[in-house]
Amino acid sequence: MIKLKNLERSYSLAKEKFFYVLRDINLEVQEGDFVSIMGPSGAGKSSLLHILGMHDHSWSGEYFLGDAAVHHLKAKERAALRNEQIGFVFQQYHLLDDLTVYENLEIPLSYRKVNKSERAAVVADTLDRFQIVGKKDLYPSQLSGGQQQIVGVARAIISNPKLLLADEPTGNLHSSQGEEIMNLFKKLNADGTTIVQVTHSEKNAGYGNRIIQLRDGWIMKENNGY
Amino acid sequence: MVTDLKFAFRQLRKSPGFTLIAVLTLALGIGLNTAIFSLINDLFLRGLPFKEPQRLVHMYSNARERNLLELAISVPRFEHYRESQSVFDGFGAENVSAFTLTGLGDAVQVLGGQVTSNYFDVLGVRPIRGRNFLPEEEQTADVAMVTETFWQKRLSGDPNVIGRGITLNGAPHTIVGVLPNLPFSWVGPAAEVWTTKPFEIAGISYERIMRGSGVLRVVGRLKPGVTLEQARAALPPLEQSYRARYPDKVDSSSVMTLKTLAEDTTGNLRPAFATLLTAVAFVLLIACSNVANLLLVRFSGRRREIALRMAIGASRRSVVRLFIFESLLVSVIAGIAGALLAWYVVPIVPKMASNFLPFDPNTRVELSLGVLGFTIVMSILTGVAMGIYPALQTSRADLVGGLKEGGRGTSGSVQQLRFRKFLIGAQVALSVTLLAGAALLITSFVRLSQQNIGYRADNLWIGFVTLPQARYPGDGSRERFAEQTLAALRNVPGIEIATMCADIPLIPAGGSNTLYARPDGEILPIDKRAAAPFHNVAADYFKTFGIALLAGRDFNEHDIAGGHNVILISQGGAKKVFGSENPIGKTLLVGSDSTPAEIVGIVGDVRTRKIAEPDDVELYRPWAQQSFSFLSIDVRSNLSVDAVTKLVRSALATVDPGLAVALPQSMSAIVAQAVGQTRLMMWLLGIFAGVALLLASIGIYGAVAYTVEQRTGEIGVRMALGAQTRDVLRLVVSQGMKPVLSGLALGVIATFALGRLIAAQLYQVSAHDPVLLGGATVLLTATALMACLLPARRATLVDPIQALRSE
Repeated sequence: MIKLKNLERSYSLAKEKFFYVLRDINLEVQEGDFVSIMGPSGAGKSSLLHILGMHDHSWSGEYFLGDAAVHHLKAKERAALRNEQIGFVFQQYHLLDDLTVYENLEIPLSYRKVNKSERAAVVADTLDRFQIVGKKDLYPSQLSGGQQQIVGVARAIISNPKLLLADEPTGNLHSSQGEEIMNLFKKLNADGTTIVQVTHSEKNAGYGNRIIQLRDGWIMKENNGY
Repeated sequence: MVTDLKFAFRQLRKSPGFTLIAVLTLALGIGLNTAIFSLINDLFLRGLPFKEPQRLVHMYSNARERNLLELAISVPRFEHYRESQSVFDGFGAENVSAFTLTGLGDAVQVLGGQVTSNYFDVLGVRPIRGRNFLPEEEQTADVAMVTETFWQKRLSGDPNVIGRGITLNGAPHTIVGVLPNLPFSWVGPAAEVWTTKPFEIAGISYERIMRGSGVLRVVGRLKPGVTLEQARAALPPLEQSYRARYPDKVDSSSVMTLKTLAEDTTGNLRPAFATLLTAVAFVLLIACSNVANLLLVRFSGRRREIALRMAIGASRRSVVRLFIFESLLVSVIAGIAGALLAWYVVPIVPKMASNFLPFDPNTRVELSLGVLGFTIVMSILTGVAMGIYPALQTSRADLVGGLKEGGRGTSGSVQQLRFRKFLIGAQVALSVTLLAGAALLITSFVRLSQQNIGYRADNLWIGFVTLPQARYPGDGSRERFAEQTLAALRNVPGIEIATMCADIPLIPAGGSNTLYARPDGEILPIDKRAAAPFHNVAADYFKTFGIALLAGRDFNEHDIAGGHNVILISQGGAKKVFGSENPIGKTLLVGSDSTPAEIVGIVGDVRTRKIAEPDDVELYRPWAQQSFSFLSIDVRSNLSVDAVTKLVRSALATVDPGLAVALPQSMSAIVAQAVGQTRLMMWLLGIFAGVALLLASIGIYGAVAYTVEQRTGEIGVRMALGAQTRDVLRLVVSQGMKPVLSGLALGVIATFALGRLIAAQLYQVSAHDPVLLGGATVLLTATALMACLLPARRATLVDPIQALRSE
């Protein structure tokens, strides 16, 4: 599903001097994989995730998502591809404070030009599926961290993406809440969603089938969980 | 308190950008308010420099059914009232005149009047040298009083001025007193000399003067304890007794009205200045709301500092005081800057308006202590008003939340956001009202300027001459003067054509009316007859002014004194008086003596009284058949005014070296002066509306830019969730425009409500003109949209990764 060839990401420091956050990344992710990216702070985990999520366009190398050669796509085409195929879960949940749970879930659909009645049906299904119907009119500040992240995950998958990217999804949660989220991921993966997560937790990485270790921008090793 | 003040000062110094914008914004508001208040102080509040001016009234004659309003008082009526009235301590009159002064270098025309002996006593003006006129001097003595300027300038401050002789209109007069310079607003420009014999007019017989035409400016000093209402109530019995005594006078059935001198000199300006005061108040409110918005944002960003202060023991009161000090400091600095701005602006308006506002061009209108006090009070009130809400709002500190936020600013509470939106909405409402007002006045001015006045004002030179009664006693001598002068002018290279006339269009009080009636129907009594502007014109008048002869003939050499009386009538007049009949060959009875005169021609309509007044009856008589001692010479030439003045003076000197040309000017300047008040209003309101638009757009930009800055993280999340450029643009612009649209709606409603205030100053445009209101709304919407689009565009450039990281 994902194929990265010689992917590099750098920042210019001074004249003709660069700081590399990712070096010569070659990686393949198959459909149905649940990949965990691990490594110390500054290893390039989040950078890699943002490149996969097409939030970052300043990289070199080749990136294939399905049949699409992302490195050849224009900004608009990348945005369209991202909206069609990718969902994103953030460590800090990043729910919009001024919107209710219902409205937060509706947002990605509105950006994908889904009409209002269809949006209502999809949001209702999602609320039901994640068992948060009772919270639909609450604002993020009225939810616990775990509940907020459940909404964050629900929002990420509401447009039915093939690929779910998660940046330390349990980083701000209690262990029991973290477990709940990871079980949710496991279930989504079992239902066919490909997942790539960044995590510091060995335990959470254990929910996936592959672990990729990054250090100073290089892939150091890969453990196959099977 | 001193520590707080120091801290506030340090805070302002720390953010020079904020301080500069806040001070400049507020200084504009305070400065413009102070400038307009200074003018209002000078025009309306200072009062005339007469003794107890509130007791002085000006009497006017009115014949409403003939649309003759606020005319001068006739001699017989003045005499009747002077004998019979009981409400005035003193009752005097002035016959405003010009004199030819000779014997002191070149002959010059000086302005002034012929007054009753008690005139200056009634006004309460004491001479600085000599004495006022004596009762026995009123009818026969050749005595004069001059102003201090006349004494200093023309007599070189001669210490023996009292008793010295001067020659006025060819007759020697003895100076009996030197007056202090009299207020411009009462005596007009450059009035210098007053004599007695108020009931004599050169070239007009006593019998004719006594027919009841208005010639006198009458003032009365109310007896102590008598109110204006009581004086007004005393007038009807006097009118009845006058009518009974003189049933056949021109003004027998006229009704008298009284105005206080303050109302008289500035009453017509009040609606205009009320509009200006409202406009500058709007500008100040916009400036205040802008700065309040800035302060709210600034104070909101200091929640951590407040939380810290309160955590270590500061009371809410002391926090509020700290913030109020900061806003007060801003407004006091702005007050000083505003006063400087006003000091610079105030003298500009009188310069622009000295022709039609009663400002003395020789006296600088300055910031008075009162106005300075007004500025200081306004600064303090502005400071407290601007600071108190943000201070109270922000000082409701959430200690834990505030400390947890670290140094990061926040966008403030829901109430603060709502208040900021309210401020933006209010600014927009005020701005759209001002813009609509400016658009209405600009349209009025354009329509007034484009009004066809019926004559060609370009390259037309005008100068006034007064003929001394002694040398030009009758129509014959004045006709010879006209013939000789025009012949002399015709031979001057550079002069295309020249004429003479007893009046000048569009000069206030420069024209006269005559009564007229058709002899072939019911002839109304003299005091009920219609009146029309009347022009005594010499040869080539219509050619010189460019007035079209539409039918019949122009006056010619056969239209002589003692011959068949002839007149010309305007096209509109012919239609009004004769309907569809052909007026050529018909007769009209003209004047208070009902002189029959045959209409020999029809000429184009002209606007001689006011440009805004519709075309009406205008009548013309040949100079040879009726003339006066005061006249204008009118010359068409493409030379400059100064060059023509020299040529005319030289030509006049060949005819009579004892004559002077007064007030030489171009007709274009007279026309420009006639639309001057509308132009001034247009400029001032236009400037205020421009400032309002600028401030409102800065306010909207500031608010939206701040919101974008505060919502960078949210925008990043939205982009990470799939929002594209247009989604972000739509989000920012729609949120920025919401209060703008509410403000627009409110502004349009306010414009309708305030329409009455401005309606009197409009010409050929409705105060609720939908196109102009729509235009103002569109302009403000477009400006607001631009102000939103700039930060919105910046929002689309947000790097989602950076935004998410900063969260």
